[in-house]
Amino acid sequence: MTVTISSNGTIQLSGFCPVEDAELLLQHLLSAPQAVVDWSACESAHSAVIQVLLVARVDPQGAPKSPFLRDHVRPLLIRAGRSSADVSAA
Amino acid sequence: MSEFIEQFILESRELVEHANAALVALERSPQDAERVDETFRAIHTLKGGAAIVDFFAMERALHAAEDALSAVRSGKRSMTIGLVADCFACLDQVSRWLDTMAQSGELPAGADSQADTLIARVAGVGVQSNVRPDRSHENLPSHLRTVVRFTAPSDSFFRGEDPLALIAALPGLQSLELAPVDRWPALEELDPFECRLVVTAFSSASADDVGAHFQGREGECEIRTLHSDGASILTEHARKLLEAQIALLDETQAATFVGRVASAGRVAANVLRCCRQVAAADLIALETERSLRENSAAALRTAITRILTPTLEAAEPVTAAVSQTSQLESAVRNLRVDAQRVDELVRLTAELTVVKNALGHVLKFAEDNDNAPVKVVANALKRPQGDLDHLIGELQRAVLSIRVLPLRFVLQRLPRLVREISATLDKPAQLLIEGDDTEADKAIVEMLFEPLLHIVRNALDHGIEVPKIRSERNKPAVATVRIRSSRHGSHVLVEVEDDGGGVDVARVKEVARQRAVASPETLDAMSDEEIIQLVFAAGFSTAAEVTGLSGRGVGMDAVRTAVERVGGRVVMESRPGVGTVVKLMLPFSVMLTRVMTVEAGGQMFGIPLDAVVETISVPQENIAGIGAARAIVRRDRTLPVFELAGLLQGREQRFETDEAIIVVATVAGQLGGLRVDRVGERMEVMLKPLDGLLTNLPGIAGTTILGDGRVLLVLDLAEVLQ
Repeated sequence: MTVTISSNGTIQLSGFCPVEDAELLLQHLLSAPQAVVDWSACESAHSAVIQVLLVARVDPQGAPKSPFLRDHVRPLLIRAGRSSADVSAA
Repeated sequence: MSEFIEQFILESRELVEHANAALVALERSPQDAERVDETFRAIHTLKGGAAIVDFFAMERALHAAEDALSAVRSGKRSMTIGLVADCFACLDQVSRWLDTMAQSGELPAGADSQADTLIARVAGVGVQSNVRPDRSHENLPSHLRTVVRFTAPSDSFFRGEDPLALIAALPGLQSLELAPVDRWPALEELDPFECRLVVTAFSSASADDVGAHFQGREGECEIRTLHSDGASILTEHARKLLEAQIALLDETQAATFVGRVASAGRVAANVLRCCRQVAAADLIALETERSLRENSAAALRTAITRILTPTLEAAEPVTAAVSQTSQLESAVRNLRVDAQRVDELVRLTAELTVVKNALGHVLKFAEDNDNAPVKVVANALKRPQGDLDHLIGELQRAVLSIRVLPLRFVLQRLPRLVREISATLDKPAQLLIEGDDTEADKAIVEMLFEPLLHIVRNALDHGIEVPKIRSERNKPAVATVRIRSSRHGSHVLVEVEDDGGGVDVARVKEVARQRAVASPETLDAMSDEEIIQLVFAAGFSTAAEVTGLSGRGVGMDAVRTAVERVGGRVVMESRPGVGTVVKLMLPFSVMLTRVMTVEAGGQMFGIPLDAVVETISVPQENIAGIGAARAIVRRDRTLPVFELAGLLQGREQRFETDEAIIVVATVAGQLGGLRVDRVGERMEVMLKPLDGLLTNLPGIAGTTILGDGRVLLVLDLAEVLQ
């Protein structure tokens, strides 16, 4: 499994996350909107998965293994996550 | 400008100068192997520097020259005057590039084609096997050259595509932005298999390379070159709006930072969208975010500037035409300071701290002992006061010595100009420079370029005879202009000497008469030496024909004005048929001026001691009235006498004393007497130029603060006596 939920409720993305993971990730996030997502073991993720993270404004924990995700996608998610924090704070 | 580039410019200038000096020697004795080595080494080092800053055009040009010199060293070819000229041409081009870089901080545009011309010139005889391939495109800022906006079809995921994987493989990917096609839905409404992504990616690769990557998907993406097409599509109005945003960013202060950056970013992005520059607008949005995140307007400012850049490049010829003075000013704004001089300042700072502490002790003692006798406190203050006096004197000298530059900074630019001018006039000439290590204050060195250039131009244009006449007079075909500089006490003497025909006194006199520079009577009474000085008079120009070089209405009076402004003097000496010498006597430093205080009309003034010849006391009855003026006879000469208070305040003053105190001063070569009430002390002061309301006050050269806090107005005698 590439999308799993750990004992403390953290949603973990690991290995190569295919397009199908998008649906699974969306379900998890809908059922636990405040859940933490950890992608430090993620080696690649399909655009669909990234799209879910963006819409959910999730700033995943850790740095993914893929340089592309780490250098180019992560800053965008951090920004989206921060703007969601701003919204909830307001 | 980056420190790196600054350092490069500084070092390159020194190397150019070095190579030029060696080439001048080679011009005279082409077989001097040592000079060939010297030139080769300097050019080689220059080339290395160019490679370090990625200035490939300069590297290529110098490489060609280096190859040719290397062939000379190995005996494969011989040194010729032609090759020397080629090397000069390379170095002149490098100098021009350095000037451009010093102004803009960027590698010069168009350098590649200039380098090609030079290479072709040198290669006419040189070896051209291992020139670097043309890497001109790499001269462009490699960062963010192309932007692509990729809108993946909504069924991409169904079709088994991964748009981001395509982007991840984009050549030269620098950064990206992900946005929804219209807006993101709420999470619960999201169809995870419907692609809504619009990817904006910035790449350092060329538009062609990026286009190749998206082959077959042309309908889904928009590719633009950031560098070249941005501004061409911008309307004038749009450009103004963008420039206004830069101005807004420049004046942004901490309190208004977020609002201003966000607003400038929004406006800029909207302007660009309006001009259908969607990709550029996205770049602005991205950089606005970055600016806000980094809490610095720099990123956004750079992005807007870059979008405007092609316009700036188009305007480059205009900036290149900015007068040489401003280039020079920026060139000498960097000072190379001897580490020892800096150490000296550090030492003085430490000593001043010690004195400060000593003063603290005295203060504490006075505070703690209410009844301490004033005498004791005063005694305790004496020592720190003495130390302070001494240290401040040293500090003043140390600071002045930092501002000191060798005249080389301006002189090194002249050989190239002399070559150009002599070629234009078809009068072969060589420039010899002596004593270019003579030092003077930075301000003096900086102002010297234009007057010197004018004098040299004048010498070549009017002084040096045309080759035919020179041969008739048995003079060497190649004329010589010699610039000699030397230090004389607190003055620096710069002499420009030519071996031309000298000044035609009769002609000067005739022109002076025609242009009413002086009255016919005055002219007749003048000696030849005095007549010659008339070339410095305002509105005088002896050019029989207006050439493109001098004689354009800016005569030698501009030289005189510039030199006198810094407290210098200029004279011209001529020997008919032998040549002309123009002598510039300049103060070593403009900061310290020796003045004498005088009192007139109840007020104290300073008179620059440079102008004062003597102070005399004459019986009142010896002052004779000549019409409305007054004069005394002094050493068999009539000396006009003016009342200082009367000149300054415009009203007559009554003198009660029998003896009149007169300060005899020389102004523009004329002697005059100034009657004052009292003569005070002599001192060295730091003259501050007038500012604020006083700026246009006539007759005042500047101000200085006296020991008791009063302001001393220092007179400009030339203006006072006008």
